[in-house]
Amino acid sequence: MTPRFTRRRLGAALLLAALAAPALAHGPTRQKAVEKITIDAPAAVVWAKIKNFDALKDWHPAVAESPADNGNNEGSVRSVKLKGGGELSEKLEKYDDAQMRYSYRAKDGGALPVTNYTSTIQVSAEGGKAVVEWRGAFYRGYPNNDPPPDQNDEAAVAAITGVYQGGLANLKKLVEGK
Amino acid sequence: MSLRALVALAGLGAAAATAAPFAYITNQGSHDVSVIDLATQAVVATVPVGRSPAGVVASSRAGKVFVSNPDSHDISVIDMRTQAVIGRLEAGAAPVGIDAAADGSRVFAADWYGNRLLVFDPARPAPVARIDVGRAPAGVAAHPDGDTVFVAERDDDAVAVVSLRDGRVRARVAVGSHPFALLHDAARERLYALNVQSDDVSVIDLKRLAVIATVRVGKAPYGAALAGGGGALLYVTNQHDDTVSVIDAERLTVVRTLDGFGYPEGIASDGGRVYVVNWMDERVSVLDALTGRTLRQIPTGQNSRGFGAFIGAPTP
Repeated sequence: MTPRFTRRRLGAALLLAALAAPALAHGPTRQKAVEKITIDAPAAVVWAKIKNFDALKDWHPAVAESPADNGNNEGSVRSVKLKGGGELSEKLEKYDDAQMRYSYRAKDGGALPVTNYTSTIQVSAEGGKAVVEWRGAFYRGYPNNDPPPDQNDEAAVAAITGVYQGGLANLKKLVEGK
Repeated sequence: MSLRALVALAGLGAAAATAAPFAYITNQGSHDVSVIDLATQAVVATVPVGRSPAGVVASSRAGKVFVSNPDSHDISVIDMRTQAVIGRLEAGAAPVGIDAAADGSRVFAADWYGNRLLVFDPARPAPVARIDVGRAPAGVAAHPDGDTVFVAERDDDAVAVVSLRDGRVRARVAVGSHPFALLHDAARERLYALNVQSDDVSVIDLKRLAVIATVRVGKAPYGAALAGGGGALLYVTNQHDDTVSVIDAERLTVVRTLDGFGYPEGIASDGGRVYVVNWMDERVSVLDALTGRTLRQIPTGQNSRGFGAFIGAPTP
């Protein structure tokens, strides 16, 4: 085999790989995070603390500001400013005072390494205590194959899980007063 | 108990083990399929398949289940009698929606990134035909005429009417925004297209190839199934509302909206029951088809989807 032939074969292989790359590209898989905490207080008390869409700043330790442009009405958009820098824009999609639950959707391109992110927070009563569940569905930040480590599936799950755990732990502390 | 009764019971048991329908639930997070025996309402097997399984079709005629794995770019073939993987089909860039011909001789998969409908002879390891369709093809529904296959072209807001004989799209029907799942209604000769962005269902009359009604449902409708006596009710899962809409299929009006689901996705019906796959809660809700009441919950694997006609029984 001559070196020239080898080079040509290599060239053909590279060309094939380049052609195949877009076809082989596949999208990310939807991820989720679910966090729950039990708070020693009536569910209504806990709901009162978080029920206003713009109240995030009052109970989430990472949030500096969270004004909403249309209160608790569906379609209301809250502009979240994080204490460490970074912003998020979140639109209220569903609000159910009786069920003690609201759902929102984040605009892509915010401070979290996710896309197509929807989230629901709900308070329920369990034996005189309140259980708060915060859950979200999302895709990673990087839409193609081979994401950088800070934008892969694990980074997305870790970021959202961190937001939920941090918020719920602080909410428990605030309500229980300890 | 008399001997006769015991024998009768044993006979029933044996029949149930071989002929009872099974539900095949794709678990995208654990890369496997939960097999539920519908007679006992319990998971009887968990079958490892390719990466991130999403779509599924259980072909009773073929005695096989075909599972699309977008992340390993292939289709896993499960034998309904042994509940084991017996084959693998190469499937383009990212197969998603999948359906089978009524006689089980062909399998059709939408290649989400390749913008093609892939046609398989299940005995061969690669597609026997690749037909160009529109952007982001998702749901697939094969018509029993043996020639027509419908493909939801999500990013084109259309349904492609593919002729297998001609090997091309022979017509297109404009529907709502971002159609994802499709369901063929043989009794009424209709096709339902579920539009995840406009939160409605386009009802297509297949004789005229025209949208005859648009039914408003919940947020992000994802899966549909006909249930009740003679398919009188159309059940639709609303992913982002955690609800299921129940539609009178004749009048095309929503008769009730059920809640208590967790990101409901795939849905199928069998014998007066409706099975709803909850992606968030990782379980299947079993509903009474007529009342919509939840009878039971069956745990599945991680991030369960069940996108397609996931119930079947091997024909003897």
